[in-house]
Amino acid sequence: MKGNFRLRQFTTFGFVALAALALAACAGEYPNTTFEPKSEFARSIDFLWDRLLLLGTIVFVLVELALIYVIFRYRRRPNDNTTPPQTHGNALLEVTWTLIPAVILIFIAIPTVRTIFETQAKVAAGALEIEVIGHQWWWEFRYPQYNIVTANEIYLPAGVTVNFKLTSADVIHSFWVPQLAGKRDVVTNRTNYIWFTPDSTLGPSVWNGFCTEYCGSSHANMRFRVFTVRPEQFESWVAGQQQPAAFGAVASAAPPEGTPTLPQSGTGAAGGAAPAIPRPPGSTVPGADSFPAPAPIGDGATTQLAAGYTFPEHLPEFAYARPNSALPRGLKFSKGLTGNAARGMQAYGTTACIGCHVITGNPMSVGIIGPNLTHFGSRSTIGAGSFPNTPAYLALWIKNTRAMKPGSIMPTMGANEYDPILKRTVTTGGLDDQQIADIVAYLMSLK
Amino acid sequence: MSAPAAHHYTTTGLDSRKIAIWAFIGSECMLFISLISTYLIYKGRSIVGPFPHEEWTSPDGRHFEPILDIPITSASTFVLLMSSLAMVLALAAVQNKNLPKRTRGDRILGSSKLWLWMTALLGATFLGFQAYEFTSFVHEGLTLSTNLFGSSFFTLTGFHGAHVTAGVIWLVSLLAIDYRRGLGPADALNVDIAALYWHFVDVVWIVIFTVVYLIE
Amino acid sequence: MATTAMPTSISSDPRPSDPYSGIWGWITTVDHKRIGILYLYTALSFFIIGGLEAVVIRAQLQGPNGQLVSAEMYNQLFTMHGTTMVFLAIMPLSAAFFNFLIPLQIGARDVAFPRLNAFSYWVYLFGGIFITVPIFFQLAPDGGWFGYTPLTTRDYSPGINIDFWVIGLQILGVSSLAAAFNFITTIINLRAPGMTLMRMPMFTWMSFVVQFLVILAFPVITVALVFLLFDRFFGTQFYAVAAGADPLLWQHLFWIFGHPEVYILILPAFGLVSEVLPTFSRKPLFGYPVMVYSGILIGVLGFGVWAHHMFAVGMGPIADSIFAVSTMLIAIPTGVKIFNWIATMWQGQLRFTSAMKFAIGLVALFTIGGISGVMHSSPPADLQQTDTYFIVAHFHYVLFGGSIMGIFAGIYYYFPKMTGRMMSERLGNVHFWLNFIAMNLTFFPMHFSGMLGMPRRIYTYDSGQGWDTFNLISSIGAYMLVLATAIFVYNFFMSRRRGEIAGANPWGAGTLEWTIPSPVPEYNFAVLPTVTSRYPLWEGTEADAESARINSQEGKTSEELGIVLPYSTVKPMIVALAMVIMFCGLITTMALTFLGAAIMVVALYSWLLSPLEPEHH
Repeated sequence: MKGNFRLRQFTTFGFVALAALALAACAGEYPNTTFEPKSEFARSIDFLWDRLLLLGTIVFVLVELALIYVIFRYRRRPNDNTTPPQTHGNALLEVTWTLIPAVILIFIAIPTVRTIFETQAKVAAGALEIEVIGHQWWWEFRYPQYNIVTANEIYLPAGVTVNFKLTSADVIHSFWVPQLAGKRDVVTNRTNYIWFTPDSTLGPSVWNGFCTEYCGSSHANMRFRVFTVRPEQFESWVAGQQQPAAFGAVASAAPPEGTPTLPQSGTGAAGGAAPAIPRPPGSTVPGADSFPAPAPIGDGATTQLAAGYTFPEHLPEFAYARPNSALPRGLKFSKGLTGNAARGMQAYGTTACIGCHVITGNPMSVGIIGPNLTHFGSRSTIGAGSFPNTPAYLALWIKNTRAMKPGSIMPTMGANEYDPILKRTVTTGGLDDQQIADIVAYLMSLK
Repeated sequence: MSAPAAHHYTTTGLDSRKIAIWAFIGSECMLFISLISTYLIYKGRSIVGPFPHEEWTSPDGRHFEPILDIPITSASTFVLLMSSLAMVLALAAVQNKNLPKRTRGDRILGSSKLWLWMTALLGATFLGFQAYEFTSFVHEGLTLSTNLFGSSFFTLTGFHGAHVTAGVIWLVSLLAIDYRRGLGPADALNVDIAALYWHFVDVVWIVIFTVVYLIE
Repeated sequence: MATTAMPTSISSDPRPSDPYSGIWGWITTVDHKRIGILYLYTALSFFIIGGLEAVVIRAQLQGPNGQLVSAEMYNQLFTMHGTTMVFLAIMPLSAAFFNFLIPLQIGARDVAFPRLNAFSYWVYLFGGIFITVPIFFQLAPDGGWFGYTPLTTRDYSPGINIDFWVIGLQILGVSSLAAAFNFITTIINLRAPGMTLMRMPMFTWMSFVVQFLVILAFPVITVALVFLLFDRFFGTQFYAVAAGADPLLWQHLFWIFGHPEVYILILPAFGLVSEVLPTFSRKPLFGYPVMVYSGILIGVLGFGVWAHHMFAVGMGPIADSIFAVSTMLIAIPTGVKIFNWIATMWQGQLRFTSAMKFAIGLVALFTIGGISGVMHSSPPADLQQTDTYFIVAHFHYVLFGGSIMGIFAGIYYYFPKMTGRMMSERLGNVHFWLNFIAMNLTFFPMHFSGMLGMPRRIYTYDSGQGWDTFNLISSIGAYMLVLATAIFVYNFFMSRRRGEIAGANPWGAGTLEWTIPSPVPEYNFAVLPTVTSRYPLWEGTEADAESARINSQEGKTSEELGIVLPYSTVKPMIVALAMVIMFCGLITTMALTFLGAAIMVVALYSWLLSPLEPEHH
């Protein structure tokens, strides 16, 4: 029969396609894969997954083989009009195939329940505590033991158990770093916990994190980064973060969207309390884009304002952690402007910025609606992992956040920019490009 | 719902309307279970008063008594229970319409109009109690939007009240038919269905009364 | 064909007086068959709309950083794709079969309440329009088909979008509930003599279970939606964050409805497949009683597993374990169904018609969805899978590979009964293979993109995340599905006009509905059949054969036979329209609410006080 031939054709096609897919899934770059667990939590899930996959595949193959066998074996031959045996059932058979799945399920249920209780046990004493507060659409991270408040980036010492305390400032979010652990929802009016221990064997690495509960317009843009670093690097980072803002430096930012005109001033940015790890050679070579690396702190930096360890940027092996979202069409920034951090601080202090952001060390900047910007210059992304934290992107971001991140609560700041939420053009009080360049310079100086 | 005529064949011999009303009541059970569960889940979760069984003093110093008035609600519960009794008598009166009425007692018991009126009036009285309760709660500072208790209380009892209202309208509609052409044994099923509904609404109230008012 | 009682009457040309013509006839009809066909056309239209929404979604995600639609539009699209497919496509497609088939399968002249039946349809149509139209104005609901609070409360969704969703679902719930009361009553009370429960065709059985799921599950979503409606319009605090509300209240209520809803979507398809497989294997369904009990068990267990949608919310280890085990238990009756279907085909005489191919397709593909379902019944494993594309893959294997494949099987199988003509097998064959391949191409890669970390409901993603290839393949599959569906639509309309004349029993099937002419006369059965077996045409006695012989005679009108049929009436449609107008008032002006309510009350009284059918003499 015709169907027979086609069926064979299809089966061949199906297996080839499946094999190709499986191959594709094993080769290549999969930075967010759940198949390479990097903590004991993720590993215990992976163990369950392996068993589920094995048993599932066996069942799948047996059922489909039986089906294919039946299809070929019992298709009606042309002109064969005999009535097949009219069986109505077979109690023994039916009991058998009721019991077999039940037995298979026991092999799933037992490790499942064991893993549930293991992974949800009370965390051991001495864990690093991190409070995660979900906001539309960014992450606030607090280290209560160190009195640090930051946003969208987490530093974790490898091999140390970390206990996340999850709460929400608005709607429900969900906290997920695929290679390190399963998800835990961040539920309004509730407190959830999730804890795990990143493998102590991990070298300094970065992991992508995602919000996985639909939370409104920019749900897709609510990402974060997790840096697992060596304990001494973590200590250095902590020491740096505990300082007030490294502010007062007279530095200038690179002109956004311009050519890399600013020289790297080598005077500031000495290592923190702990010895900084040497930057690998490739670290300052921008691989993915032509924007210059942010200028370090300028001449006026005082000694106590030395920045701590930050994760080196632009490592080619961590290119996946560098956002590459498309810029909105039509959003432009003047070329060739040079920002002045001191002027920028003033501009920052006289605009709406201070109403929503905290910069410890800047007494006017006390708003708590938006992310804490104290060490803004030390972060690698802006907009909750939407764009790289470079002067060029930051300038566009300040100019029209809402064009860059749909639904953002941060208003459009640039003069004559169209605010897509208010549906009108910003006229009075809008910042011109020079003012924005100054603010960019100021913010980038906050190491 | 007017029926498929009685001469149609049915598997069970019962009229289809009778089966449908039971299915409907089953569904209504889930409705009230959901409402009552929500009330219980939110019990004690309200951030501000007034509260059902506890006193409360607001931050600005105003004092609120426990808001539920059990004696008055007991009276309204009794009224609703009596309406079920009247409903039973109304149904019996319709079913036995053609039996001879010898005594005055027979005539009273056999008056479908009387007992339908009685049921509807007792139902309306219950609604009057509820209207009084709602207004006094609002005066005491509890509205739909005061707290979780207010929201879940008014919605639960309001839904029940709406069911009673629908029942009263149903009864009045039956009365209208009774006045126009008289209800007889042929209509017994229509009255029977209304009665099933009415008793169900009654039973739901008993549960609500127990869960909301009596259990602290 | 070796059937025992093969009816022979095959008219040579199209029926002289097509009973299904005239717009007014359709608007006023109370005939379950015509209402079923109305459901079919309407639901297929919504299926196409929902499919086009999905195509835009796939076009946006075809590559990284897609910029076809805005974030807001994307969120509306995925919300409406889910809402449309669940409430406006698959459920009503099942309802089309409930309406058309149940009375025919149990030997009844109509459903128990024909006018209520018409009412259900009109409420569905108007409610469907109400909830669908806003997307053309970029005002469509954007809170997801699951509408989690507090995102959907006025505080976080101030626009009119969610209002359409809350009110629309409320309206559609009325339709489903009214239909369910009707079918429960019909199945309990209008079975022909001898049609015992354990002789009922499997489709009717599964539909019976589904109606109970509807009447028990829909009130729960109704309450959840009432709370949301009151929160948004009247200031109650059920989901208000500031008042201390617990967002899990919504989730529990929604999923207590939502999980039985999954079985509401899949069981009718199981029923259809259980009709198709025996016919084209020329064997009775294997293990009929077990198939019945497993269907009931799936329905009952379906109420005890809802929290497996919430393993990530932090319910604690005990609740997680309980719901994990109860969820795993459901795999047992479901597995039994798969095995019994295969056993039905075992030793059969398989004929690979289009209907049969789709039925086998369901068995093959639903198995995949079932296995991945067991994979996330394990809460720790689910913590990696939930809210990723792995879940999207899973439930599309269940709902597309299961429900839609089953429904297509049903359409190919029952098209002759509905229209009197056969669908083109040649086009059906192309449709099946294209659909089958495209379906796997679309959804199988999603298993990978999900396990490789791609979250659901994102309108954009960065390149370099390892998801690009899988998304591209998925999108290509989606475009192929459009082509497959276009072929089906063409086949449907072409065959309706020019298909081969079918006759009463073109497939040599064994159940009661194949004893009557195609298309079915308005009175269904000239005489009420007497049933003595599950397959009256295959293994029936003289009594079965006799009623089949009489009922297959064509050409008599109901007057000639002295059969009383209900009056046509427009009143149910007016009540439905007035009800929707009443709800519209909530988002426009209260005056409209009162106007709608007034019309509704008047029309309702007029409906209830008018007789269903002429007096019988």
